[in-house]
Amino acid sequence: MNVVFAVKQYISKMIEDSGPGMKVLLMDKETENVDYLIQELRRPKYSIYFIYLSNVISKSDVKSLAEADEQEVVAEVQEFYGDYIAVNPHLFSLNILGCCQGRNWDPAQLSRTTQGLTALLLSLKKCPMIRYQLSSEAAKRLGECVKQVITKEYELFEFRRTEVPPLLLILDRCDDAITPLLNQWTYQAMVHELLGINNNRIDLSRVPGISKDLREVVLSAENDEFYANNMYLNFAEIGSNIKNLMEDFQRKKPKEQQKLESIADMKAFVENYPQFKKMSGTVSKHVTVVGELSRLVSERNLLEVSEVEQELACQNDHSSALQNVKRLLQNPRVTEFDAARLVMLYALHYERHSSNSLPGLMMDLRNKGVSEKYRKLVSAVVEYGGKRVRGSDLFSPKDAVAITKQFLKGLKGVENVYTQHQPFLHDTLDHLIKGKLKENLYPYLGPSTLRDRPQDIIVFVIGGATYEEALTVYNLNRTTPGVRIVLGGTTVHNTKSFLEEVLASGLHSRNKESAQVPSRSTRKR
Amino acid sequence: MASLDDPGEVREGFLCPLCLKDLQSFYQLQSHYEEEHSGEDRDVKGQIKSLVQKAKKAKNRLLKREGDDRAESGTQGYESFSYGGVDPYMWEPQELGAVRSHLSDFKKHRAARIDHYVVEVNKLIIRLEKLTAFDRTNTESAKIRAIEKSVVPWVNDQDVPFCPDCGNKFNIRNRRHHCRLCGSIMCKKCMELISLPLANKLTSASKDSLSTHTSPSQSPNSVHGSRRGSISSMSSVSSVLDEKDDDRIRCCTHCKDTLLKREQQIDEKEHTPDIVKLYEKLRLCMEKVDQKAPEYIRMAASLNAGETTYSLEHASDLRVEVQKVYELIDALSKKILTLGLNQDPPPHPNTLRLQRMIRYSATLFVQEKLLGLMSLPTKEQFEELKKKRKQEMERKRILERQAALEAQRRLEERRSDLASRAANGEVVSLRGGPAPLRKAEGWLPLSGSQGQGEDSDPLLQQIHNITSFIRQAKAAGRTDEVRTLQENLRQLQDEYDQQQTEKAIEMSRKQAEEEDLQREQLQMLREREWEREREQFQAASLHTRTRSLDFREIRSFHLEPGREPRTHFAHVLDLGSSPAQSSAAPKSPSPSSALEPISVWSGPQALGQEFFPQSTMSQQNEVPSLNLFDEEDLSSPTAEGTTSPLAAEPSFGPSAHILKEYNPFEEEEAVGNPFTNPDSPAPNPFEEEDEHPHQRPSSPPVPGNPFEEATCTNPFEMDSDSGPESEEPIEEELLLQQIDNIKAYIFDAKQCGRLDEVEVLTENLRELKRTLAKQKGGTD
Repeated sequence: MNVVFAVKQYISKMIEDSGPGMKVLLMDKETENVDYLIQELRRPKYSIYFIYLSNVISKSDVKSLAEADEQEVVAEVQEFYGDYIAVNPHLFSLNILGCCQGRNWDPAQLSRTTQGLTALLLSLKKCPMIRYQLSSEAAKRLGECVKQVITKEYELFEFRRTEVPPLLLILDRCDDAITPLLNQWTYQAMVHELLGINNNRIDLSRVPGISKDLREVVLSAENDEFYANNMYLNFAEIGSNIKNLMEDFQRKKPKEQQKLESIADMKAFVENYPQFKKMSGTVSKHVTVVGELSRLVSERNLLEVSEVEQELACQNDHSSALQNVKRLLQNPRVTEFDAARLVMLYALHYERHSSNSLPGLMMDLRNKGVSEKYRKLVSAVVEYGGKRVRGSDLFSPKDAVAITKQFLKGLKGVENVYTQHQPFLHDTLDHLIKGKLKENLYPYLGPSTLRDRPQDIIVFVIGGATYEEALTVYNLNRTTPGVRIVLGGTTVHNTKSFLEEVLASGLHSRNKESAQVPSRSTRKR
Repeated sequence: MASLDDPGEVREGFLCPLCLKDLQSFYQLQSHYEEEHSGEDRDVKGQIKSLVQKAKKAKNRLLKREGDDRAESGTQGYESFSYGGVDPYMWEPQELGAVRSHLSDFKKHRAARIDHYVVEVNKLIIRLEKLTAFDRTNTESAKIRAIEKSVVPWVNDQDVPFCPDCGNKFNIRNRRHHCRLCGSIMCKKCMELISLPLANKLTSASKDSLSTHTSPSQSPNSVHGSRRGSISSMSSVSSVLDEKDDDRIRCCTHCKDTLLKREQQIDEKEHTPDIVKLYEKLRLCMEKVDQKAPEYIRMAASLNAGETTYSLEHASDLRVEVQKVYELIDALSKKILTLGLNQDPPPHPNTLRLQRMIRYSATLFVQEKLLGLMSLPTKEQFEELKKKRKQEMERKRILERQAALEAQRRLEERRSDLASRAANGEVVSLRGGPAPLRKAEGWLPLSGSQGQGEDSDPLLQQIHNITSFIRQAKAAGRTDEVRTLQENLRQLQDEYDQQQTEKAIEMSRKQAEEEDLQREQLQMLREREWEREREQFQAASLHTRTRSLDFREIRSFHLEPGREPRTHFAHVLDLGSSPAQSSAAPKSPSPSSALEPISVWSGPQALGQEFFPQSTMSQQNEVPSLNLFDEEDLSSPTAEGTTSPLAAEPSFGPSAHILKEYNPFEEEEAVGNPFTNPDSPAPNPFEEEDEHPHQRPSSPPVPGNPFEEATCTNPFEMDSDSGPESEEPIEEELLLQQIDNIKAYIFDAKQCGRLDEVEVLTENLRELKRTLAKQKGGTD
């Protein structure tokens, strides 16, 4: 179930097959790639080719490839199903931004997502049962497509049967538009929120006074121990850990700078030098990243903003929330982006509140000078993830257990105001693990249902997962015995990319009034 | 599974080996361990890791089942949110994901395709050959046409009203043309021409294959083979300058394409890029250097040492040759570097990088090798060197003869002594018991014979002789002589060293057991001794000329002759003689470092003595004549007074022997010549030398065993002899390795443009190189 490991295994298998010094070409089955490959094979540059395709390839493509290989340079043609991006061991992404048009799939993205998801299943050797979120048409479509592929390639999906079959749960981002709108305080999520992680790389070129080496840095848990240990810790802990890292480094440093007087010194130097270099790289990288994070936090007044955000997301006190939002909108240090975000959260939470004062807040936004783009996005977000769209209730728990739980939580007080929010996914998975997830909200695809509690769970979020959810899944994995959960999404969102996603879905372009009628009708189905 | 026994109770399950906490599964154990005990003992960690891994492998399935069971039981208590899950990083290893191979399909399609292609090409080439087989220029066109028609049946004109390629209608103006290779029809526009040179090239390349496989109905494999093997021969393309239409063969685009592809294939097989050619040359040169350079270095070293094994002219020739090769390497790599730089489409950056790397590695190679290329002496220098060496050889010969004579004389003496001792009931084992106890035992009855023992060590004397010569020479300020004498000394020692080791190897097998026993004991001694040695080294003012190593060897020589006749005697001698020297050392006003290292060794020796029963020790020391010692002690109280620093040394205190030896030295100092000291009452080496300098037999009669003992019974010597020598090459190797490493870092850093690092590294490199040079200077 470790997706990073699965991809790694494929790669090492490839390297093993082809021997050292070989160029390995891993590609998905896009036809244009096949065409390029055909061209390459007609005029080969290398004496031998090992072709590994990252997904299922059609027989006709194999034939045309074979016919192009007139010089007999191809030594291997294999399908290795690594057609996704493994971010963390339990988190994968397909890097698709804007997968939906309106409420439905962009057909090209649907096929791409199906490919990615089936590739994931194949690489993990899982032939799952599928559940989907009833409120989302897209979820159902994707489930059907995956099912179709499984049926079609049944021989590929013949794995050793486990006692409890694995489960694929397909969700839609619309159901929880809150999570991607919140500021994050754990390292990985925070970096993504404030700086943006793109395939493990962070662009730091906008950081003032950045050195040339650090324009772009790589944060990968695979070869960065500090990152691996700290990616799920919150910002305060990172601060102290990075201090330790620095101290550790400084302890080592003077030793290296010593004059080399004896052979032993030199030997030690030579032996430690690469390690030292690596460490100095790690230190400077993390110090820069954390420094930039804290700069942004203070510059954008994020602590205060985040507190209000959390209140908006977790509590139900309308008047205090409104007051706080209004107060922050007056604060000149709050950026237009954060201001818009606060209003979005307010709009999502108190959409149907009797004393909803969204128009007033919108006025405030305008007065603050927030651009048209962001103001339009407020309504678009409501359109995207508003109450109408949601299949379940995001804010007010219905069942008695949940109410008691929240009550108890209120009594205990919150440990950390900035991280009190629990993604909706947590409840969903919690129910799923306990076998309490309602079948009328999350039906099975096909006739068979799961009698036992699920053990291997693959969650896929159409419209993108978030790092906060990844953290939730990580914690669930760690705290729940016998359960392994892998989270995936069309992409991994931060607020910015989520807003782009909303933008791409095209919902905002419609006029508010005119849009409501058709969208409601689709909902009612 | 991993069950660990507890002293009190037997506990089972996944126990943490450090805190004995019971953990539910081994994944939890692993994570627990990594969280809690990661900083603790590595050994334990390694152990548990291997244990876990073993368990993982062997019981994978079992564990899995267990994990499942636990999972079920765990879910019951889930409400309490128990901490029992697994970090995703710790998920159990999974097998390789699904794969599917299309290779067989692929191969099937490819084989079909290639069969078709090969048949096509062969057909065309056969026809082409037929078409070019006759002399086209001197044949009438009608006849040509007839031949062409016979090669391939032409398609009927009437059957093709339109050009199959462009679709234009044929008429008077747009005439039909026939492909001479396949007989099809096309218009003039779509017609292609194959020139005779091209045709020749194609047919000649295939000739040998065609001669064997001409029929297209062969098995596909052999056809492949022919296709592949056909490029081996390629005749020069005949240049036909006049290109009439008749000299070219008309064909359709399809045939032309096929043939052009074929031509390209032929070209590719034949073609090697310039860079490859140059690089191959470069490699060749490097190999040459690798061969020649060691040879030259050997020559140069020998010549520099004044030997006449190689001729100077030859060596300088070789040097010039090697240098030329270096120049060639340099030139070649430069050429590679600039390859293609002036081309219009600039080469790919990767190509340039490759070129840079080649150049870099070549310069590195040259730098490194040139560094090791030592210079040759000039003719005059060489003559001088030769002369010097000759002198040395002579001196050495004389010394050897003296030593041999002396040894023989002593042997005789000892024989008589032996006889007397045998009568005494003392059994002397020639393969002497190296165990100290035995030595001690063997000592008692030998009393009185020490004088003889000391009498009979010619090497000791010889070396003493030389050292004192050196001292004298030094005192007289004749540095040249000092140098030659020291050289002498060294050679002498080398010779004996060699002899010893040879014998030692021979004998060591037999005596391995005893050796072990003794080594254990001596190990302890040695440790102490080293400490002391260090202190003393610091204390002693080191002399620049003589190396301590030599003198450690000297001491061993002292032992050897003594041991020759009676092995247990050796130790006594050893003990006796070295303190003697050490006592002399601090005496000499100009700190004669020549002896200082020995004094260093005497300390441990004394320590060794302390290990034996005190009585034996005193016996040892007093063996020669008890009263004599006493006398000495009494008679020279002043001497003792003056040598108080020495006497203060605990080991020396009880040994009257020292004092006795010591006296003559003092006198020596006073007189200025130790050898003319006639009144030394004890049988002391210096005196002996004076007595029998010319009595040495031609060769020292050396019984096999004693020499062996010399090495195995005396760990000090072994250490001092073999230790530093074996250490140095290793360190040198290490240095070289490190230099390489640092060079690589520098390059890396340069590539990345980190100039500050480059600086630091170059500084390091320089330092390393300096050390290396120093070391080399030391070892050469």
